[in-house]
Amino acid sequence: MAAGMLTKAICGLRCPRFAAAALSCSSQSYSTAALPKAVLTPSDNTADQNKLLNVPLSHPDFFRVSELFSLKDLFDARVHLGHKKGCRHRLMEPYLFGSRLDTDVIDLEQTVPHLQQALNFTAHVAFRGGIILFVSRYRQFGHLVERTARECGEYAHTRYWQGGLLTNATIQYGPGVRLPDLIIFLSTLNNVFQTHVAIRDAAKMNIPTVGVVDTNCNPSLITYPVPANDDTPAAMELYCRLFKVTINRAKDKRKQLELLKGLGPSTTSS
Amino acid sequence: MNQDVPSMHSAYTKAKMAALYKVACRWSSGTCVFRRPALYSPRNLYSSDSSTPIEGQGETESQQPVAEKPKSGFAVAYELHSDLRQQQQQQDSGPSPSRVSSTTTRDETSFASLLRHSPLVQMGPAKDKIVLGKIFHVVGDDLYIDFGAKFHCVCKRPSTDGDKYQRGTRVRLRLEDLELTSRFLGATTDTTLLEAEAHLLGLAGEAKPKA
Repeated sequence: MAAGMLTKAICGLRCPRFAAAALSCSSQSYSTAALPKAVLTPSDNTADQNKLLNVPLSHPDFFRVSELFSLKDLFDARVHLGHKKGCRHRLMEPYLFGSRLDTDVIDLEQTVPHLQQALNFTAHVAFRGGIILFVSRYRQFGHLVERTARECGEYAHTRYWQGGLLTNATIQYGPGVRLPDLIIFLSTLNNVFQTHVAIRDAAKMNIPTVGVVDTNCNPSLITYPVPANDDTPAAMELYCRLFKVTINRAKDKRKQLELLKGLGPSTTSS
Repeated sequence: MNQDVPSMHSAYTKAKMAALYKVACRWSSGTCVFRRPALYSPRNLYSSDSSTPIEGQGETESQQPVAEKPKSGFAVAYELHSDLRQQQQQQDSGPSPSRVSSTTTRDETSFASLLRHSPLVQMGPAKDKIVLGKIFHVVGDDLYIDFGAKFHCVCKRPSTDGDKYQRGTRVRLRLEDLELTSRFLGATTDTTLLEAEAHLLGLAGEAKPKA
């Protein structure tokens, strides 16, 4: 299925329609990095493509995302600070270190492996040429999220979420729309402190999600939750930097492997 | 009982005792006060079996190896006993957030250790604490000040030296609350304002009169 989707992408349907739709929603126009338009390669190249795609799967941390951050970095960025005890979501209790003077403290010893898994998954999706959508309805960091998406050549949606954006895409945006392969939530709540609709919709459409969940959020439907602070600018800048670096690293690795194996669009198949 | 003593201590060589003493000295320079009695007389850890209760004043090292056989794994045994002792003390004194497990209290870069020594925790309750903040955003007369907690605070520009308060200025604050939350009638969770509350005292760089 992934191979099928990949060939669809190579067909040049790197979804200008979806991109246009997302951009029109946000009423801002910026261009993402254009991928080289690959010619529909003959079938004898598919085996090599599949081998290339399976290369990162051999190693648990192929993209070395665990080297991108340490527990001390998270601590200095105030990732462990949570809301007050009264705002706590019941399902976040396993991720909490404790509560001090009515303020919750998130256990960074748990956050570190969660964040590593999330970054690793993001890297793999980016390596395979998947579309990544950054979603955050936190107004303070809307511009930061959009800038991050532009710098790593992916998409962002930080404005009002139309109800049928994922579930009604074929009717709202026309047939043959390619939906995102990964949605990254840098804040899982909307402006009225309810869970963002996109989490439920992504689960309905079988789209994996990565989400930064604070102590007042519901981590239920998110595929790779990262229990962490989402209110401090220092923490948000850290996440944006980490995701951007991971995605760029994965894409560069893909280009590098393609050149090494001679599978680039400009070279002939071996 | 006497027969037990040589078999217990037979595990220890002089080198191992020296290593223990080094470990003990490192620990005594740490933060936990309650461990000191144990350090001075390591043999008292096995107090039920100790037949010669000599207070360790440097002589324990030389007297121990008389009845000891060389064996490895002493450090593990010592750790095990100190864990048991710590758990006993934990039960006596009640749970506290800093003593999650013995290994994390030993490791200086563990999260529990970092948290315990962080200024936010050392400060205690936020009410009426004086902190330094930095203005990161200005909207007319509203100054958005970040002082190192989860949220920022918003203060009105004071009438004295008003134009000195620009983006990047360091200011002194008296904190009221780290997060303004309240539970309203009929609600299941608190409503939060996503802001802290503080009073602006003035600029941080003011020269204090020398005594």
